[in-house]
Amino acid sequence: MAAAIAASLPAPQAASAPAAPIHEPIPASMAKLIDIEAEIPLKYVQLEGLVISKIVKHSSESHSSVHGLLLGLDLDGTLEVTNSFPLPHNLGDEDEKSSKTTSRYQTAMLRSLKEVRADDSVVGFYQSTTMGAFYSQTIIDTQAIHQEKLRQGGVVVVHDLSRANRGNASFRAFRLSKDFLDAYRRPPFSAKSMISHKLTFNSIMEEIPLKIRTNPLLSAFVSTLSERHLSPLAEPTPAEVYRTSLHPLYSTLNLGNPTLTKNLENVVEAIDNYKTEEGNLAYHTRQIAREKARAEAYIAKQKEENANRLAQGLAPLPEDDVSRLFKIPPEPSRLESMMLLGQVDAYAKTLEGTSSLSLVKMYAARAGTDAGRDSP
Amino acid sequence: MTLGPPSSAVYLNLSYRIPSVTIHPTALFSILDHHLRRTDAQQRVIGTLLGTRGEGDGAVTVRSAFAVLHSETSEQVAVDMDYHRAMFELSQRVNPKEIIVGWYSTGSNLNTYSALIQNFYSQETAPYPAIHIALNTGTQVGEDAGVKAYVSSPVGVFPKPENAVFVPIPVTLRANDAERSGLHLLENAPTSPVGELAQLESTLNDVLEMLDRVLEYAQEAAAGNPADAALGRYLMDALGGGVEELGKGGFASSLQDTLMMSYLANLVRAQAEVSARLALMTAL
Repeated sequence: MAAAIAASLPAPQAASAPAAPIHEPIPASMAKLIDIEAEIPLKYVQLEGLVISKIVKHSSESHSSVHGLLLGLDLDGTLEVTNSFPLPHNLGDEDEKSSKTTSRYQTAMLRSLKEVRADDSVVGFYQSTTMGAFYSQTIIDTQAIHQEKLRQGGVVVVHDLSRANRGNASFRAFRLSKDFLDAYRRPPFSAKSMISHKLTFNSIMEEIPLKIRTNPLLSAFVSTLSERHLSPLAEPTPAEVYRTSLHPLYSTLNLGNPTLTKNLENVVEAIDNYKTEEGNLAYHTRQIAREKARAEAYIAKQKEENANRLAQGLAPLPEDDVSRLFKIPPEPSRLESMMLLGQVDAYAKTLEGTSSLSLVKMYAARAGTDAGRDSP
Repeated sequence: MTLGPPSSAVYLNLSYRIPSVTIHPTALFSILDHHLRRTDAQQRVIGTLLGTRGEGDGAVTVRSAFAVLHSETSEQVAVDMDYHRAMFELSQRVNPKEIIVGWYSTGSNLNTYSALIQNFYSQETAPYPAIHIALNTGTQVGEDAGVKAYVSSPVGVFPKPENAVFVPIPVTLRANDAERSGLHLLENAPTSPVGELAQLESTLNDVLEMLDRVLEYAQEAAAGNPADAALGRYLMDALGGGVEELGKGGFASSLQDTLMMSYLANLVRAQAEVSARLALMTAL
């Protein structure tokens, strides 16, 4: 019997000569699912119970929005996400050093997970948000990189923390739409390119249906937790007759809505931001128009002068390079303003949802009062 | 939310205060996932528990867990300590508040090796005692799924690391509001996340069902069938709760506010949509 603990695992015995791996033949029933080139398009994203709880934990720990990586595999059109891990929060500036340490962290984590036989292929990332508004430059940049590099393009799973706090865990899976990606890859993101791709904020992302699955072990365990046992006490009060580790969820019935003011503030703030950005765009547009007008006036003047000289029988002056004389500023990117508009819409949508919800709850509560009983 | 029967260990007279243990669902689910991914040769899996320790009372909250490689043979037990340290450093990068509080294993088997591993983790958590969580997955016939927590104390005249008494301590499951709503999804799995209105509807239906049951009981009692007086008083307390505020004009003003909010939200959305379409038109 050992009296001490060995610090590391014993080396595997019988130094396994690298025998040629034996590949079992693929059974015929699976043959059509073999998808080396990722040709079967994604139809569903499926989250494991572990991933749900990890994302919720990570999001509820921090007040700012957090993100992490999703690990898993795709099989026959379903992207099975079986594990996840949080990424460190970048403090403000996205400099070279911090992105380097993040990528080192990522590789170390993936290697460690592989050692304990967990899935280690990245299939996307998750992002926490409040009040439903998740459009940001970073999320789009990251997803654009993923969509290029990852097998199946990767997905982004958005978890709304403010809804989870109200008792409704919300998970949605997205990826960038083809039109948007096309426009995004060919800068400048100008009005012309927006029009040719018919882009509004609604068409930046496309949603993929999401399913939630628990493995049999987990679902057995959860149902054991929510099982009710009779109290061991001799004369329990009615409130204590049953004991359970997991009480049923009734926080959805809470009448008050503490986030309503915050939500309103968010809407106003988003509109303000959008207005500022629109102002900037208008300023730039005017600048471009003014420079263009000056350039055109110059050309017209030159043409007139040349016509005069021709009429007098003189040789025309050489035409100057207009583009060197007048610097016409490049057209500003419309991406920012589009995303801000998306934020406005998302905040307003959440506000709409909560107000309709509290309407239902108010009538439900009134049914319990005398006033509700008197008037049908 | 207690897990398992209450423990008598709180009355033991030990050299340190018995910590109370609270465990969050994420830690439990990580352990289950690790158990599922074990090799055929492994009887049980072990790993490190991360969490926080209360300032005054030493109450331990287990927030997450990660798997650690180990091997047990009849001759020796080995734990990959390098792996354990590396994983701990990685998790510190994301969550510096979470420290090592103990270790977990699956199954309810406490043996000499458990004592040795416990000894190792005690060094990691010193000066505080290490917590051991034994999670029984309930997959063996005749064993119930459940969670037990232990602290250890040395035993014998000459304490040796391979000898220890595992003292059971109370353990409770805690989930904050957000975690609870996540668990709600898992209880009904396989499923898809539903909208808030749909969820409210199903909750209201639950409440209606319960009211029907109470009504049935009350009618039977009124008809003269024997009933429990304590239960009657309890129901009166529970259902008599006042929403008078709503009755006295509060309802109308609340209704106005809510409708206003809904109107405003719709207006903003319509404007946003129009603005987005106009942006496509202007440059034509």
